[in-house]
Amino acid sequence: MIKETIEIINKLGLHARAAAKLSHLANSFNSDIHLTYNEDRVDAKSLLGILALAASVGNKITIEANGKDEKKALGEIVALFKAKFNEES
Amino acid sequence: MIKGLIITHGNLGKELVAVAEGILEEKVDIDCVSFDWREDGTGAVNRVEHYLAQHRDSNIVIFTDMFGGSPTNICYKFNRKNIEIITGVNLPGLLKFLTYKDKDIPFKEFVKLIKKEAIEGINIISEFLGEKKK
Repeated sequence: MIKETIEIINKLGLHARAAAKLSHLANSFNSDIHLTYNEDRVDAKSLLGILALAASVGNKITIEANGKDEKKALGEIVALFKAKFNEES
Repeated sequence: MIKGLIITHGNLGKELVAVAEGILEEKVDIDCVSFDWREDGTGAVNRVEHYLAQHRDSNIVIFTDMFGGSPTNICYKFNRKNIEIITGVNLPGLLKFLTYKDKDIPFKEFVKLIKKEAIEGINIISEFLGEKKK
């Protein structure tokens, strides 16, 4: 299992469209992927699970990936956060 | 295969689908029937029956807008083995349906999952934050 903590930098935080992109990406991997914010831990493959975190800009999220493609999964998910979910220029 | 149909007063169902498509950024596979309460409902019933006949070999989730309303009441006769009717459609429940319908989950279990998600999607923000208002 590998993990990384990252700060949310897109203005709208983990809102609906960002959560949809994130869950869609997470579902493309075989690994189990979870997000933790404060004490809440959710399945990153669940759009509504991600929304339940109610995480905003500036909040720090820990991403865990566990499985054969965990390295690729974590890398691509971190990249999506850093790219501000491709919703800001 | 699981199919979906939303039956609502007016265009509520179509608007929910439009919003879901905006969030998911893709066209979604679900149909809508609008119930015009200025009419006697015959047209809506015919459209639902036509849809169900077209998909008779599928499991079908029918979402309606409100328990006790006409869109729900016309559905009682459709309560068959391959059809489940969920009242009080909302965006969390609809998104759960759209994102989980292709997963290999037994139909009855799938329907309960949608209901659970729809209910959990309703929160009072002051309770969620655990703070009292000033």
